[in-house]
Order: sequence, then C-alpha cells, then structure tokens
Amino acid sequence: MCAVEVLATELPRGPFPMRRPAVLLAVVLLLLSTAFITYRIIWLRYPLFPPSPEKAWLLDMEARVRSHRGETTVMIAFPGGDEKQIIAEERIYSGALGFNLLREGLNQVGVWSGVVDPGGEIIGYRATILMIPPPSARPIPPTLGPYPAQLGEGDRTLARRLVAAWDRVPPRARLQVVAATATDVWAEPLPNPQDIEAWSALRKKIGRREALLLLLRAANLPARSVEGLRLSESVTTGPLSWIEAWTGKEWEKLHPETGEIYPKSISFLHLVVGGLPSIRISNGEISEVRWALNQQIISQWRTHFERIKRSSGLLDRWSLFRLPAEFQATFRILLLVPIGALMICLLRNIVGFPTFGIFMPVLMALAFRNTGLLYGLGIFSGVILLGYGVRRSIDRLRLLLVPRLSVILTLVIVSFTVFALIGNKVGLRQFMAVGLLPFVILTMTIERFFIITEETGIHEALRTAAGSAAVAAITYVILHLEPLQLTFFVYPELLLTVAALQVLLGRYTGYRLSEFIRFRKFRNPT
Amino acid sequence: MIFKALHWLSERGVLGLNRRNAEYMMRCNPRSILPLVDDKLLTKDLARKHQIPVPDVYHVVRYHGDIEGLKKVLGGRRDFVVKPARGIGGSGVLLLMDRTADGFVTQSGELISWTELTYHVSDILSGIYSLGGLEDQAFMETFVHPDPVFADVTFRGVPDIRIVVYRGVPVMGMVRLPTRHSDGKANLHRGAIGAGIDIGGGTTLAAVHGSQVVTHHPDTGSPVRGIQVPHWERMLGIAARSVDMTGLGFLGVDLVIDWQQGPLLLELNSRPGLQIQVANRTGLRERLELIDRAPSDIFITPESRVHWAREAFAVSESQSTKA
Repeated sequence: MCAVEVLATELPRGPFPMRRPAVLLAVVLLLLSTAFITYRIIWLRYPLFPPSPEKAWLLDMEARVRSHRGETTVMIAFPGGDEKQIIAEERIYSGALGFNLLREGLNQVGVWSGVVDPGGEIIGYRATILMIPPPSARPIPPTLGPYPAQLGEGDRTLARRLVAAWDRVPPRARLQVVAATATDVWAEPLPNPQDIEAWSALRKKIGRREALLLLLRAANLPARSVEGLRLSESVTTGPLSWIEAWTGKEWEKLHPETGEIYPKSISFLHLVVGGLPSIRISNGEISEVRWALNQQIISQWRTHFERIKRSSGLLDRWSLFRLPAEFQATFRILLLVPIGALMICLLRNIVGFPTFGIFMPVLMALAFRNTGLLYGLGIFSGVILLGYGVRRSIDRLRLLLVPRLSVILTLVIVSFTVFALIGNKVGLRQFMAVGLLPFVILTMTIERFFIITEETGIHEALRTAAGSAAVAAITYVILHLEPLQLTFFVYPELLLTVAALQVLLGRYTGYRLSEFIRFRKFRNPT
Repeated sequence: MIFKALHWLSERGVLGLNRRNAEYMMRCNPRSILPLVDDKLLTKDLARKHQIPVPDVYHVVRYHGDIEGLKKVLGGRRDFVVKPARGIGGSGVLLLMDRTADGFVTQSGELISWTELTYHVSDILSGIYSLGGLEDQAFMETFVHPDPVFADVTFRGVPDIRIVVYRGVPVMGMVRLPTRHSDGKANLHRGAIGAGIDIGGGTTLAAVHGSQVVTHHPDTGSPVRGIQVPHWERMLGIAARSVDMTGLGFLGVDLVIDWQQGPLLLELNSRPGLQIQVANRTGLRERLELIDRAPSDIFITPESRVHWAREAFAVSESQSTKA
C-alpha cells in the first residue's frame, strides 16, 4: 500500500494547472477570428456595418423573331457586368429556339438559334442589375490600343499632326479639346488649316464616330465605342451608342457625333463594348424589340449575396453566400445555434438555471421558429402536462422502460396530430406547425418531469420546467435577431469567437448567481 | 459595487458548483477511476479488499431472466434493501422492512406486492435510475438496523453519515436524518435534514432542511444539536482510507452505523453535494485551501491525516454554542 500513500501526498495541489492553456486557446481562437474578419473588411472590402438598401435595376428585353426558311441565329448582347455593375438572376425566354450564352471579350452575348415557327418566336431576357457604390467600384485602367486597322498610314499621321500640340495638356482637358473638334472647334495652338481641311474630308469618308475614335487614339487617350442603354426608368426600342474615353481615373462618356461630354450624373448600362452592334441576326428578321428598365430596391441581403458570389477572394469563393438559396436559410439559423449553446453555458454555469437536459432548450428555441414563442411554449407545456397525466396513469401498468417511453412518444405524436387538426379547423397555422417540434425531446422531457415529480416533488419539477422555458425563450430571441443572423452569415468566423468564449466559460470557477440564494445563510451569521 | 456586494460568499470560503467541478472533481478524480465509485457493487468489492466493513449483499440481479427466480433466492428474508448498482442520489432505492402474505411492507408503511417488486427490479435493470440511462444491475443488501443514537431525530428510515474527504483528509461531516417528507431516505434533496458534525469532537451542530437552518427535527421535534456521534474516530479513519482505496482525491464518503457491527461503508460519491456547507455553517473552500497549505508529512498515513484534520477543523467552544 506504499504506492497509495505516495498518491495521497502527490495529488495535485494549488490552482488548477489547466487555466493558462485554456486562456491561451481562447486567445488563439479570438485572434484567428479577428484575422479572418480583418481580411474580409480590409482586402475584400466587406462593409463594417450592413449597408443601406441599394438601388437595383430590372432589365427586361423582348423581341419577335421571324424567318421564312432554314435555321435562324439571333445574337443579342447583354450587360456582362463589370467593376461597377453586378448582373444577377438572369432569365431567358427562348420559345422553341435553342439558347446559348457566349462571352466575347468584355461582352456577354445570348445566342438563340433554331428553326423559327412560321408565326414567329418571342425571345426575351430579364436580369437584375446591381450598381456597386463608387468606393468599391474601381475601374481597371485600360491600355492604349492600336489604331483602327482599316485606316491607312496617312490618316494616322494626319491625326497625330492635329493633336500633337496638345500632348502636354492633362488627359481630362485634352479630352475636352479633342471632343470639341467634332463640332469644328479647334483649340489653341491651332493646327495647320490644310490639315483641318484634310480632316473634314476624312471625317466625311469614315464617319464622325470613327473619326473621333481615331483622334482620341492619336491624342493617346484610350477610347472605345459602346452600345447600351441609359439607366433610367424607360422603355426603348433600340440601344444607344456612345464613345467612352479614359482620362486616367474613369471613363468619360461622349456623344459619338457631336463629341458632347455627358455629365457624370447620367448613368449608362453597357450592352456591348468595342463597336459591335448589340443585335445581330442571320437568316431572319427581328422586330418589336423592346428594352425596359425598372428601378427596384433590393434587400441588403441580396446585395451581399451577389457581390460575394462574383468575387474571387479566397474567403469569398468559400463564402456561405455561394450556397444555393434554400440551404442558406438553414445556415443562417445553424450559425446561431452555438450562441444558443453559449447562452446555455451562461445561464447554467453563471446564473444557475435548472433545465431538463443540457441542450433541450436550444432545440425548443429552434422549434419555436415555426410556431412562434407564445404558441410554442403553450403547446409545449400542454403536451408535457398531457404526457405527465398519461405517464402517471400508465405507471400502474408496469411497463418496461423502452416500451413505456415508446407509448409516451406515440402519445406525443397523437397530440401533435390533434393540435394540427384543431389548428386547421380554427385556422391557426401555429398549431399546424406543431409537427416540427422535437418530439423525442418532448418524450424524454415528460419522463424526466415525471421522475423529478415523483422523487423530489412537483415544486422542483416546475422549477426545472420554468428554467427550461426561460432559457428557451432567451435563446429564441437571440436566434431571431436579424442583424445577428446577417453578421454571422457574412462573418462565419465569428464562431471562433463564440468558441473562445465557451472555452473561457469552461474555466469559470466563480459562483453561480443562484448560489447567492442557496448559501444566503452565510451572509448574516447568527 | 455589484462585485463588492457579491463578495461575501468567497469571504466566507464557500465552495461553488463551478469550482467544485473544475478545480476539485476534474483535477482530483481521474475519469478512469470513476466507475469504481459509480458502481456500488464494485465499491463494495474494493472496500472488502481493504478490510472496510460494508452491508452484506444477499443477491445480485444481472439479467431480466433472473427476475423470475427472485422469490426462490430471497427465500424467507423479512427485510432487505433493493438498490440499483449505479443509481444516483438515492433514486431507485427500496427499503423493505417486513414481509406480508403476498409481499412486503416498505419503510414508509406502504404495502408492496411481489409483482410490484419485480417491476421495480426490472426498472432498475432497464437503467431508469442509472447514470446516463445505461443498463444496470440490481442488488439486495442487508437492512441496516441503525444505532439508536439518532433514533430521536429520525423519522423512519436509516440515518447516514457523509464525510467529505480531500486528498485523504476528512474535511467536513454531516449526519443525514430522514424525515416524513423524505420517505425514509437520507438524501437532502428528498427532504432529509442534514446536521453538521464537528470534525474535531464528533458532535452534531445545527441542521439544514431544504435551505433553512433548523435546530430540531421537523417530525420528532427533538433537538438535533449536541449529539455525540459514536465511532467517530473509526469513521474518520474509513473516510481517510478512501483515497488509498480508490485513488480519488475528492470524495463524499457515506457511512451508516449498524447497532451491532458499527460503522459500515455504504457508498462513495465522486460528486459530493455542497449543502453540507450549510449544515456546518462553514465554507468548504476555506478548509480545502488549508489542506493544500498543510505540511506534506501529514499526508503519510490515514491516521496522521485524521489527526491533523481533527485539530485543524475542530469547532471551537464558542462556535459550537453559536451554531
């Protein structure tokens, strides 16, 4: 027995040695969580606070295609989405035609092809377009492209000669003077009058738009021809076209004929960039084209969703927003369950609420999502009381444990059914949602309630029931805080913070609040 | 402000549940040893090996199939106790005092038929009273006839003595006295009253009933204070040896005093309740920390540990009259 005597002396003494590692683990979890959140906010430009509702546009295109023979192909350019716009929820109407979506450089082209019905086919496209607010919408600077290929060497040198004098003018001002030439206004220093004349001739030959593009290129200003729509509540039959020129920070928009620079307050929606027509058709004709734009306010939720869905950041690619919508709803709730568990830790270990089972109140709170808190608690206590009555009466039957629990389970299901039928009769949806309550938990709760009543008395059983209900109600409220749901969904790494708090609570060795009542006799020694 | 207002508990050295769990149970009671004390049959075997007397076990029912033969096995025994091997907090314990034509009379005077008894045994086997609901065993042991010293302060049933032991040193003691409300059982949460015992002298102090401090037994009306517990030194010795027996550093040792055999070890509890502090009007933490500061030579033998404890935790004259 000598070894045992050693044991008695060598049993650990003093403060519990695990406290520091536990704190360390909590700190590591917290730091990890903070690092992830910082990465999202700083590098992925997540909003620190949920943004205010944003404007979105609903684009609706409809056209009729006719053809007399053979296969017809229709190509229509759609907004491809860029650094300022996000295209979401695209929908296609293709009738009897086949449909394909192609990417051509910056452009997105829908291709309908097939044999057109003699009566014509209606084709359509619908999409939601989200505008990214300026700080996050940073356009990518373009590179200066080559001169248009169809022009001769002589035309290029002529254009260079015309703008050479303005090379030192800053880009934005240079654009203004170049654009003014479209209306034959030439800024100082004036180019050679012969050159101006030659230019007028060339402009007649190649067209005003091409001439302006050439001159912009010669002035070292990246420029492009764009077809698209003006962003305003409108219905139009055909897209607009304009020229965009880069002035170092953003694209300025110009009228292709007059060179007028549009004010920045006017927004446009790109359909096709680079000079191609937005609608092309082979072997047929297209009529009754209608483009409609409608503004709508969309929830912050969807904005987040769409923005993150397109991003290529690592955490964005692994974001919960990429889940199909129906699963997202589940995770919105699931992510808050650990907070529910944290609440249970708090209420049991710091406050000292008695509850049936450890996580039973969390499951109750989850179930109350369908029934609402008051109805949920009501139904819950109703079923437990009923179950308690039946459990009391079948106690005399001397049933074995498992069959007895099965009988109670059956009773729980029967009472659910009755609740649902009554709910249907009186038109109470909450009663019909009863089927989603955790029936196994209810069964075990009935048994536990009975055992506690028998052994310790109804007082203790009711106390435990009240504790469970209180914890369930608190957890329910937390699970339903929309901002909290959103925050956890956007930053799921907050779960690490929750875990850190749970670890810390696990090392809480102070008193429970209930112990101040339990040991109240110590307060005033008599 | 709030913290100051809530400071009195720690000033009085009261041990809370959180600290009991994290700093004493988890640290001193290795999980691998817990089955030894969770299963009363294993505890009994262990105690016998260490020459610690325990109530005799008549019979153990391991399988549902054995229930049929129960009548034969029990033969003509008139009184015995039915217990689940892994029961918690006294649940599932049935005290049978006498026999009738068709069954038994329980502690509280209820009649119980053979069918009801077999039903109860079957419940025990199914695990309804056991830790975690696992399948269990039922056993029948001697009905202990308690020493008459507590007869005046016991309403039916058998009083038992709980001694909390830390690192082999008895820390605090209490005698648990059944009441009408507790149905002959000696568990505080069932309504039994608990009277603190002065570790030094072995006399009872005031008692706790629920959350109230009482000086008289609620049913018999006799004073609970000042009773000299017999065999006190022997019981402290058994308690002190529990650590050598099990290797658990923080235990509640439950004993019962048989009028012929003297102290018997009933069971060991690895999660001793904290109500004993109210019964003694003293915080456990204060004493536990005193033990941690004690010189290491006091831990060498059970006798040295008991000796140290009786000196360190003796209730002074003035305190015992106050309580």
